[in-house]
Amino acid sequence: MKHVQATFITGYVTIMVKGQMPEIFFQQCVDHDIPIWNVKRVNPKQCEGNIRLQDIRQMRKIRRGTGYKITFSRKKGLPFMFKRFWGKKELVAATLLSGLLILLLSNILWKVEITGVPTDIEKKITKELNNSGIHPGAWTFSMDSPSDIQQNLLKHIPELLWVGVEKMGTTIRLEGVEKIVVKKEPVSGPRDLVATKKGIIKKMYVSKGRPLVYVNDYVEPGEVLVSGNLRENENVDEEKEKKQSPVLVSAEGEVIARTWYEIHATIPLKTTQEILTGEQETKYYMQLADFRLPVWHFLNPDFEEIQVDNEKKPIYFFKWKLPISIVESVINEKKSKQISHTKKEAIQIGVEQARRQLQMQLPKGAKIISEKILHDSVDHGKVKIALYVTVEENIAQAEAIHPKKEE
Amino acid sequence: MKKIHQYMRPLFTKYLALPSDAVHELPRITMIGQIHAYIENHKGISVFTDTELRLRTINGYIQLTGNSFVLKLMLPEEVLLEGKISDVKFIPEKE
Repeated sequence: MKHVQATFITGYVTIMVKGQMPEIFFQQCVDHDIPIWNVKRVNPKQCEGNIRLQDIRQMRKIRRGTGYKITFSRKKGLPFMFKRFWGKKELVAATLLSGLLILLLSNILWKVEITGVPTDIEKKITKELNNSGIHPGAWTFSMDSPSDIQQNLLKHIPELLWVGVEKMGTTIRLEGVEKIVVKKEPVSGPRDLVATKKGIIKKMYVSKGRPLVYVNDYVEPGEVLVSGNLRENENVDEEKEKKQSPVLVSAEGEVIARTWYEIHATIPLKTTQEILTGEQETKYYMQLADFRLPVWHFLNPDFEEIQVDNEKKPIYFFKWKLPISIVESVINEKKSKQISHTKKEAIQIGVEQARRQLQMQLPKGAKIISEKILHDSVDHGKVKIALYVTVEENIAQAEAIHPKKEE
Repeated sequence: MKKIHQYMRPLFTKYLALPSDAVHELPRITMIGQIHAYIENHKGISVFTDTELRLRTINGYIQLTGNSFVLKLMLPEEVLLEGKISDVKFIPEKE
């Protein structure tokens, strides 16, 4: 039966043979290797049977000069169906166009839903989204990924504590949580100024309160620098003290002290630096599973070293993700440079690095006074240094005075 | 020559256990009840009507009779007949 399998795909016709002994004609066809099936004797002079579309030409050759008459009574199979369908061109065009339209509309953002935040923040979010090209009518595959949108929103709108971004087909759903800004209340009422770090006091500006330490004193962290209690000698005159209630103020002032830090830094003697030159080329692909078909920019740029950033954007049909996606790949030219330092240079870099590192930890207004290399060593291609840094900074911090419970 | 062939063939089937249809060029008829008949190794159709199928063979004809005959498949040397078969008859060649 394998001869007649799949004939629906290639197409077949039913022929009616007229003449004396029509079955003999079929036998002649079979002798020429033309398979025939479903042969029926309709009446003594007519016989019908199925024949493959591709055998018709040869069948006609055989018929020539035999006196049989052949009529085609039925045509079946895909080629005929296709022909019939193709005949109605407007229908084909309409089907294609409607499919394309659905594809197009499935990839447009229709709605931006924002929930959970008051209207003023909602407006801000909408504005921010508009700026990054997210609004009803925008292409979904030119949009950033939800996590990028989320980060962008959180970065630009300080009132937002959290925002959930979810893309559901043609809608984007944002759920925000407003940040309720609670101002940290400054310590009010009576307070002392206390040292935060150990150091030697260099300058004191006390606008309120009674200083307990002097310039060039060494203080430990936690030590009271400026007292909010204006009455002196509370310890000596304890008996009196009990009767006189203390005069408490909120101490204010700045205590600049010299503090010191020891910092360790390691600097490799040889480094490889990778720099993007700024030369870049964008390529677009259609991706189906693992196969990529270039759509735009077919040639690879002649960069020696490259860094490729791929961004995949799926295409939707209704709510379903199609297996095809558009990939935007940015090829950046990269240059790597081998840099080697002498020990002296490396130490310099290390000092610089340590300085920057320290600066980040220090409060505002702190000044680095001096630095001294305590120790340096070269080990395994790296220079290790220990650095001693002296800094001048404000070490005073307000601390509330809790009135002692009266006995 | 022919005589040697005719003498040899039964020996082949008997001692070498070769299938007799292949050795003798005889038709092989496979029937499923009376609704199907699959005939291989024939030498061509000589008559086909609603009620009769006659096939040439190496030494005569096979005649199948019945009613509502349809040739489900026609290939060189093979035929699949469908219908209600009532008779299978071997007609020797008239000499």
